Amino acid sequence: MMDVLGADYRRNLGVRRFPLLVYALTPLLALMLQAWLPRLVQGYAWFDLPLLVTIYFALVRRDPIQGTLMGASLGIFEDALTNHALGVNGIAKTVAGFLAGSVGVRIDVENHTIRLLLTFLLSALCSGIYVFIYRILLGLDFQWNWFSELMTAVGNVVIAAVVFPLIDRTQILD
Amino acid sequence: MESFFVRYRNLLVLLALLLAQIIGLAMQVHRADNGRHSLDPRDSAGVRLIRLWADAVVTPPEEFFHSTKMGTIWIWQNYFDLRHTHEENVDLQKTIDRLRLEQAALLEDAKQGQRLQAMLDFKEKYIYTTQPAQAIGSSGSDSSRVFYIDKGADYKLDRDMAVITADGIVGKVREVFPHTAQVLGINDQTSGAGVILETTRVRGILRGNANGRLQIVGVLADQRIQPGEKVLTAGGDQIFPRGLPVGVVEKVVTDPDRDGFIDILVKPAAHIDRLDEVLVITSTQPRFSDEQQSDLATSEAVKGAEVAAIKEQQKASQIMAERLPGLTDPNAPPPAPVAPAANGQTPAPTGPPVPKLLQPQRPDRYTPGAAVRPAVDTSNSTPKQKTNPDSDEPAPARRNP
Repeated sequence: MMDVLGADYRRNLGVRRFPLLVYALTPLLALMLQAWLPRLVQGYAWFDLPLLVTIYFALVRRDPIQGTLMGASLGIFEDALTNHALGVNGIAKTVAGFLAGSVGVRIDVENHTIRLLLTFLLSALCSGIYVFIYRILLGLDFQWNWFSELMTAVGNVVIAAVVFPLIDRTQILD
Repeated sequence: MESFFVRYRNLLVLLALLLAQIIGLAMQVHRADNGRHSLDPRDSAGVRLIRLWADAVVTPPEEFFHSTKMGTIWIWQNYFDLRHTHEENVDLQKTIDRLRLEQAALLEDAKQGQRLQAMLDFKEKYIYTTQPAQAIGSSGSDSSRVFYIDKGADYKLDRDMAVITADGIVGKVREVFPHTAQVLGINDQTSGAGVILETTRVRGILRGNANGRLQIVGVLADQRIQPGEKVLTAGGDQIFPRGLPVGVVEKVVTDPDRDGFIDILVKPAAHIDRLDEVLVITSTQPRFSDEQQSDLATSEAVKGAEVAAIKEQQKASQIMAERLPGLTDPNAPPPAPVAPAANGQTPAPTGPPVPKLLQPQRPDRYTPGAAVRPAVDTSNSTPKQKTNPDSDEPAPARRNP
């Protein structure tokens, strides 16, 4: 495990590069759509677009630090739009970004099935961390709906199956 | 030493970020007097600044999306989908006429109520001014039921102002930004509104649950509470004026945490998940607003005479009904209870009750059960009452001119 965590062990093979505009606009678009789309679907907002962006870039860039920073910033941004404390989503997505970047070093990120499976697992992990922070770390009285969290993980997989190949097309080919 | 930082750079960055966020979280939570933890209802300056930045980034595109959507709907509704508009106008005009009639009829009661409240120094407050606003965005999270409106400090909005629709309450303003405001929905877990059940007068606190549904918590078990009962604001929370519709009781369930208590699930009156336009109550006053008074005056001027005529007609009918003799004698004693039979069984009813007829003032031979007495002493009769001795029929009564 420590081998994976070490920066020296990061493999540069297969690291994808994207235009700067994609790096800037994709997270921004994800945040805006995450804030706007729930008004359209009305109660069925079973997706987390910023988490998908975090996972995607951490995986394809194979860089835990980049995944960690992106997860933290997107998570805090999401927290800022809610009435919750800043840092709950931030911590969850920080961990998710780090793990995605670390796993990306070891696995074949070209394989769609593995990417979707990772998306599901990291979505579920984020929900777990979220509840852990609220109930254990902060000791707040917080109810949660496991069905909704499960559906969010499934929804993320469905969206990832469509969006990940689309973002793949924007990569810079050597 | 350098190799350590280089070697574990990834892990160190992760730990540093986690530590910073955990410290930040700890600064936002405080321990209440009852020993329980809670989030600060008011954000610190730093937290508010981050929220302001996030709002500034997200709001412009949200407003663009919302304006585009509303513009498309407006063009469709006003240029293409105009079928049945004339019929709708006629129906609406009829509705306005009917409402004006009702309003004029209720005006006197309202005035009397205000006079009585003034006499009793009753601190009832009416919705005085409201600010219409458009809901443009949401938090994007199922666990946070907040949404954003397109009016903020520039329209004199302030924290804790009530947000309603024509159907019922929606939430309260939680945070105000220069051009937008964050509204905490009544179906959020951290919200709270004082409510009262209309019929049983049971009071409770309304809040949301994990599914975003409304529930009244902390209510003692009461068999009288039934589904369908209306829920209104109680006015004790200093946010929502008293008497606004909240919803109807949907289901009553036992509180899983406390014995003897129930949770009342409420179906909201307002479409909380489909909000487009809302009203922010910017002030309440102990009298009607100028606009409301103007509206009342218009209704009274237009329909006042009609209402007065209807009331006069009702009054005349009532007087006439009181004067006309009825079939039932109001002075008659109540019917005796049916005595049980000797064998202890209640006798079967023999048929519908026969109404007791009033005794006529001048019985004649057609009067049921009355025999006409023959005129013995004609001198006692008045000269105008002439009796025919050859006939049993009495003389017809003289018609008054």
